[in-house]
Amino acid sequence: MSLDPDVIASEETPYLFASKRSRLLVGRRGVVASTISTLVILGIIIAVLFAAPGGATFRYYFFDPHSMWVSWVGNPKLGIEAIRSGLLTNIWMFLVSEVLVLFIGLALAWTRMSHSPVLLPFRILVTAYTDIFRGIPLLLVVFIVGYGLPSLQFGFVSKLSLATYGVIALTLTYSAYVAEVFRAGILSVPNGQLLAARSLGLTHASTMRRVTLPQAIRTVIPPLLNDFISLQKDTALVSTLGAVEATRAAQIFESTNFNGSGLVVASLFFLALTIPMTRFTDRLMARDRARRLAVAS
Amino acid sequence: MSDVVLELDAVVKRFGENVVLRGISLQLHRHEVVCLIGASGSGKSTLLRCANLLETIDDGTITLFGQSLMDPRIDPDLVRRHVGMVFQSFNLFPHLSVLDNVMLGPVRAQKRKGPEVREEALSLLARIGLRDRADEYPDRLSGGQQQRVAIVRSLAMRPSLLLLDEVTSALDPTLVGEVLDLLTDLARHGTTMLIATHEMNFAKDVAHQVVYLDKGVLVEKGTPEEMFSNPKHESTRNFLERVR
Amino acid sequence: MRSVRLALAGVLGASLLTGLSLTSGVTAQAASTTIALAKCKTTIATQEHTKGKLTVATDNPVYTPWFVNNTPSNAKGYESAVAYAIAAQLGVSKKNVVWVKEPFDSSYTPGPKSFDFDINEISYTAARAKAITFSTSYYDVQQSIVALKTNAIVKKHTPQELKSYQYGDQIGTTGLAYINNNIKPTKPARVYSTLDQAVLALKLGQIDAIVIDTPTGQYMASSQIVVKKKLLATQVGQFPSVGEHYGLLFSKGNPLASCVNVALAAMKANGSLAALQQKWLGIYTSVPVIKP
Repeated sequence: MSLDPDVIASEETPYLFASKRSRLLVGRRGVVASTISTLVILGIIIAVLFAAPGGATFRYYFFDPHSMWVSWVGNPKLGIEAIRSGLLTNIWMFLVSEVLVLFIGLALAWTRMSHSPVLLPFRILVTAYTDIFRGIPLLLVVFIVGYGLPSLQFGFVSKLSLATYGVIALTLTYSAYVAEVFRAGILSVPNGQLLAARSLGLTHASTMRRVTLPQAIRTVIPPLLNDFISLQKDTALVSTLGAVEATRAAQIFESTNFNGSGLVVASLFFLALTIPMTRFTDRLMARDRARRLAVAS
Repeated sequence: MSDVVLELDAVVKRFGENVVLRGISLQLHRHEVVCLIGASGSGKSTLLRCANLLETIDDGTITLFGQSLMDPRIDPDLVRRHVGMVFQSFNLFPHLSVLDNVMLGPVRAQKRKGPEVREEALSLLARIGLRDRADEYPDRLSGGQQQRVAIVRSLAMRPSLLLLDEVTSALDPTLVGEVLDLLTDLARHGTTMLIATHEMNFAKDVAHQVVYLDKGVLVEKGTPEEMFSNPKHESTRNFLERVR
Repeated sequence: MRSVRLALAGVLGASLLTGLSLTSGVTAQAASTTIALAKCKTTIATQEHTKGKLTVATDNPVYTPWFVNNTPSNAKGYESAVAYAIAAQLGVSKKNVVWVKEPFDSSYTPGPKSFDFDINEISYTAARAKAITFSTSYYDVQQSIVALKTNAIVKKHTPQELKSYQYGDQIGTTGLAYINNNIKPTKPARVYSTLDQAVLALKLGQIDAIVIDTPTGQYMASSQIVVKKKLLATQVGQFPSVGEHYGLLFSKGNPLASCVNVALAAMKANGSLAALQQKWLGIYTSVPVIKP
């Protein structure tokens, strides 16, 4: 059976120039298209904010400069807590939690991946732990820890500050997530790396420590960072116990003065904390990815 | 000490239902170079991995340096400190510099002293002309350079036996030569090697023994002259025709 | 004898005259209010959220003495009664008063409201009045302290001693503001999302005292904080007034507010508002006054 020659090789000369429309979307002309599209979108947003019937109220409620300032510095006489001092609570909470979570999460992952027979009961415990704390909503854990521990009346454990209970709840929950992230990272290290390390006579533990973990940790930095940004935002949940941190302070301002500009202020400062971190990690990721791809698998 | 470094006797290896090695028997003597040839899936890689206990066999025996690897007292990590292995995909550690790659095994597995290992590592790198790249990371090196570093990484362990698994198959044709030159050099210096390869000319030049595997069966073995000029089995002949 | 009769007549005459002039002043005022009210009865038809009905919002749950049994429509409790009284003044029958639930936190957010006005012990402040429209006062507020009977604050509450306790309160309340502005304790007060959480904290001993308006405080102490029918809390005392008052909440610029103010003015003039306060809040106001 032979192929019809006309099907495989046409006599016609193909036309190679792009259509006018696709030319507008490519290269230098593409810049024009993107500028126009950006301006249009911006224009729509501004139009909505200013021309919509509720526009003035919306702008007063969320973007009033005087309110933003008062919410930032606080006014105890009116019962308004300063967002700037609330932020300090958020910051120390997530710094402490993140460090604890890294260590505990890594310990949990390592235990789960170990081969030692002695650690079998711990492997079972770790699996149960990650199941439980990834299953219960963080808010519930905050309540159980924040109301439960004090009611036990069990020495100093029952007399900690509200933010400390928050740190405990955050650490318990996020360690479970981070343990799974580490585990996935460990499993993602190419098998060739393990073979090479074992072929050099490195023990299982040594391989883990010198070859697997260093690579796994670099791989998991983006999902870890995601979890940490989540954790940062979840520090706000401690407000349900009565502690005053940034979002809480903003809420207090809102219900005291019937103005939500504090919420915008708090949001801006959260962004100021997280955006540099994400850009820095992007750079780390790119550098590591280049190295990994170059050595094949 | 006996002259036989490695001996396989009727070795059988299964992966589930799939029988990958069907009763392989061969001997490797000190300073000898044996090349394994055969199509993909013929069992060459598996054979090599059984030799350094990365895989365990299901039947038969493997004797290394006169000791049976089937003995329950055998310490696999210890075995691998004396048997070097180089892989098709180099498997250099991307998070370590070239020098650290070479030093990792001797320092952490063999517990040798740092400064001494460093000296030796640098001279090995000098031998392959890459001493000035010692502090760079593997991603900056070409494939041929990476593979030569991988070979040197194994040599730093002072192995009594070197296993090489198609170490040029993943390389650009222009880079194959530099790796083969290094292996030829090692052979001339008397390194005991078991090499799985597709490079027939290299095998002709360097091997003392050529072994042909087909679907897990050791079909034929002999000197390069015997195998390449006058193969006895039809299967061997067909294979050599195809790779010519 | 004749001098006594003359004196009596003089007194009578004087009081009659005074009475007459007073009532004439009052009558004059009452007359203008009646006119305004009559006008309102026709204009509100265009201003109501749902035509023909007066839609009143409040929180859920709501407590005595402001409402009874968490059922605003039973006309029991001070705020429920005031709402129905206002409706009556505006010519809206009882069955045309519709109740809706609106959590405090969403009652003041921008956007169209699902009610005509919200009655929920909302205190007037100038800042708040920028976001919504308040009616005139329907109750002047004093703050009080509620604590467990076993707490030291029950016996020790001089101005100096008051500063040493751990207070807790609901977010955004004037009680919290009073703590920070007038009591000024050394330890910052704890802030809770809801009053229920603050009460729980009080029961658990996490805080020493809650500051809350007198009537609510009295209800809390006398009925709400109980374990096995045992009253745990007490209302320690109330603070002097600082000019705080409750207003009804309208969306900003809602024209209905002016008519509601007319209704309130009428109720103040004819004493019906005071009567309602006496009926629902009177028994709660005989609480000792302490200084902050």
